[in-house]
Amino acid sequence: MAALYLLVPVAFLFVGAAVLAFLWAVDDGQFDDTQSPAVRVIMEDDEVDEREE
Amino acid sequence: MAGQIHSSEGQNVLWSAGSQPAYEQTTHSNLQERIVTRESRQPCAHCGLPVSVGETTDEPVFCCAGCESVYRAIHDSGLDDFYDLQSTPDGGTREARPDGVDERRLDEFDAPAFLERHAEALEGGLYEIELHLDGVHCAGCVWIVEQMPDRLEGVDEARLNLSRARLTLRWHQDEVSLSEIAAWLERFGYSAHPTGRRDDATSGAERQLLRKMGVGWAIAANVMMIAFAFYSGLDASAQSGLFDAMRGASLLLAAISVVYGGSIFFRRAWSSLRPLLAEPSSCRWDRLSIDIPISIAILGGFTHSAVATFRGTGEVWFDSITVLIAALLTARWLQIRGRRLAGDAADRLLSVLPTGARRLDDDGELESVPTEALESGDVVEVRPSEVVPADGTVVDGSTALHRGVLTGESRPERVECGERVFAGAQNTGETICVRVHSSGDASRIGQLLDWIEKQSEGKAPVVHLADRWAGIFVLAVLGGALLTWLGWTWVGSPHAIEHAVALLVIACPCALGMATPLAMTTGVGRAARRGIFIEDEAILQRLEHLDEIVLDKTGTITSGEMHLVDWNGSRRALEWAAALEAESTHPIAFALRSWAPDEIDDLEPESIDEQPGRGLQGRIDGCDLLVGRPDWVREACDGDLPPELEPTLQATLHAAHTPILVAVDGTVKSVAAFGDPIRSASADLVDELQSRGVEATILSGDHDDVVEEVGRQLGLAPNRVHGDVAPEDKKAFIDARTAPDERDLADEDVPCVAMVGDGVNDAAALEAADIGIAVEGSASASLVAADVFLTREGLEPIAELLEGSEAVMHAVHRNLGMSAVYNVAGISVAAAGFVSPLVAAVAMPVSSVAVVVSSSLQTSFESDLDSDVAATPTSPDASPSDDSLSLADDEPSSLAPPASSGR
Repeated sequence: MAALYLLVPVAFLFVGAAVLAFLWAVDDGQFDDTQSPAVRVIMEDDEVDEREE
Repeated sequence: MAGQIHSSEGQNVLWSAGSQPAYEQTTHSNLQERIVTRESRQPCAHCGLPVSVGETTDEPVFCCAGCESVYRAIHDSGLDDFYDLQSTPDGGTREARPDGVDERRLDEFDAPAFLERHAEALEGGLYEIELHLDGVHCAGCVWIVEQMPDRLEGVDEARLNLSRARLTLRWHQDEVSLSEIAAWLERFGYSAHPTGRRDDATSGAERQLLRKMGVGWAIAANVMMIAFAFYSGLDASAQSGLFDAMRGASLLLAAISVVYGGSIFFRRAWSSLRPLLAEPSSCRWDRLSIDIPISIAILGGFTHSAVATFRGTGEVWFDSITVLIAALLTARWLQIRGRRLAGDAADRLLSVLPTGARRLDDDGELESVPTEALESGDVVEVRPSEVVPADGTVVDGSTALHRGVLTGESRPERVECGERVFAGAQNTGETICVRVHSSGDASRIGQLLDWIEKQSEGKAPVVHLADRWAGIFVLAVLGGALLTWLGWTWVGSPHAIEHAVALLVIACPCALGMATPLAMTTGVGRAARRGIFIEDEAILQRLEHLDEIVLDKTGTITSGEMHLVDWNGSRRALEWAAALEAESTHPIAFALRSWAPDEIDDLEPESIDEQPGRGLQGRIDGCDLLVGRPDWVREACDGDLPPELEPTLQATLHAAHTPILVAVDGTVKSVAAFGDPIRSASADLVDELQSRGVEATILSGDHDDVVEEVGRQLGLAPNRVHGDVAPEDKKAFIDARTAPDERDLADEDVPCVAMVGDGVNDAAALEAADIGIAVEGSASASLVAADVFLTREGLEPIAELLEGSEAVMHAVHRNLGMSAVYNVAGISVAAAGFVSPLVAAVAMPVSSVAVVVSSSLQTSFESDLDSDVAATPTSPDASPSDDSLSLADDEPSSLAPPASSGR
């Protein structure tokens, strides 16, 4: 059971990292628009093709 | 490639001239060329409308100069991929925009005051702004708009949010002006509007809630995991070190959740409590917010658990508390997010008046001045298709003015020298000069808009249904906890405090707090997919007790477009007339064509001569044809009307329709009546309203006789039909029914009045009404004023709204009932001392899940349409109806081609 004294804090570290990543994503506006980026993926390919021409 | 856009010939026609007459001239000259040979039809290369062409060619063909210019602009910029993307990925289509470009509207974008108010200055001359774009529908739009940095020098970044139709733009002010950017967008049919006050606050609050919610769930999951150790037998006596460490860890995590996530409830609870503490005498316990019982549960449970942790004995409730906070934050976040879409589209500046005017100075020279600079006594020139910039008197010339935007009149009115005109009216005739009496905020329309803006900023928050229960709930819970404590102390139990806290925790109105927001947010979201945008969920609550619905006529009950409503005489003559009008863009020509069978396409006019304001003269099948106003046709063929046609003509005039005569070889052969017919859904709506016991009233600025006729056809009592009502009177009419302002709308006995309208003339009434509903094609002022707006044609969505809100409220009541049952049961069990942290940890999520399931199972706004049919609000710009008889000088708005899919 002594392992728990180490494992639980390590788990908290992981959670902390996940939470920080989440906060970054929110502040970066990743959740503001969940529709346009999906269509933008298609667009940007076209743009590259055009520049190659 | 990067480079400044260079205007080609084709673009110059429309865009640099900017005004509508240029548009018309080109249309007509093109028509002349095309008119002679008509054998086959090909889709317009831009909008897809069928176009008559001599032979099918591979060359692009166009229905009008507008489409041609847009096509050339897209083509010359090398953006042809637009046409491939236009209908992807959801099959959405674009509507071609009916209006020409108001170049002067764009000027306002460059005013320093404008930039200061709406844009943010970044380093190095870089500016950032958020704009709302009308006309954004599909992936093609995202692509074309985001090409801007490559195509316009000085634009650094353009990001378009498709679902919100919001463009975030960064540009160098010294290299390119905002008006140039707006003009670039306008060329592709997107009209940019600055976004108003609401956005920062809303999206800031939404983001903050999302952060709190994410943190809340992360903590809840971990505290719950630790709690599993206790529930599965971690014992204080056997492993006291680990036991204390785990409790300590839970305490730490829960403290973060309570302080960071729970603060939102504490703050709101405090702000609801403060006025009561300040004036205990005027204490209204039924006005407490639901946040108060939530705060009591969180704080009570946490404090007790923290004390237990430090003492090392007693129950801890950390898992229940953290889950509770996370779940409630989720409900709040969903609520804010659901509200955003409707808010976005209504969030625009009120601008009806042109920003600039042409002033005649003392030497008779014309100078351009901003509208605000106009003073009483100035003389301004108003050209055809322009909007009158200020209230005043006509001092030179006479014309026809379309006052629909201000009064709701469906027909342009003749205005002679010396008569008064009001700002906002559109000139559909000749150039006139107007001496200004009052301008800007002092003008009649300025006062209306000013009032609306003030009102909509100060909208009082609505008391939600759950909040009405909160006061009783607080008393019941606190009373129950006190009794439990007293009872157990009296019997001498050492666990009296434990039981009281268990009651506080398990009675936390988690389900109650989620019951109304979840059910309503689900309903509002579903309604949005059906083209019904509801700004505040509380509207659904009000609709439940709707007593009277006041309807505008033009564009609401009627379609706002001309149709052939009656005819008499020779059918063949009318079909010939339709063939003759085949290429005309006048509303009557459209109406005639849509009535005539397709075979008329085979008829070839030999000549066509348009007489502006009178009608059409031409030759077809070897016969001379005259189509036009009765007086003109009768004069031109100086013959009398055949007696059998006389009654039809009289009936037409009596019903306030517009008559047209057709003469063949000098003899009047037929008469046709055109009018703005009642939508088929209008009669159904009136029946539906009557069956629900809701009174229907018509309030219109149109002529009394027209309105009366409409009321008669809908079967409304004459005292419920009012014509010739000025905008101010509309507001007064609603005020008389909704006064006093301080009513409690959730009270069933208080009459609740809804107003349905579309124009600026309805906006004040929409704001004054308990529920303002703006219909498809509404002016921006009415969008700001309205609580609900519809992006589907006709009144059908209103019936749906009533039905849907009933279903939503049914779900709300079901949820409230369930949470009441849960709470009564929970409080009883807790008072009896049977609630342990494990029971609470199971019972609370179960009740919340039940509410979530019940909310999503509601039967409101059930969709048999394509789910995305109305996901994006369409352009709210008004296109006023026009039934003038001038056959050639119509406005481009009547050109509006229907939506078409891409190729």
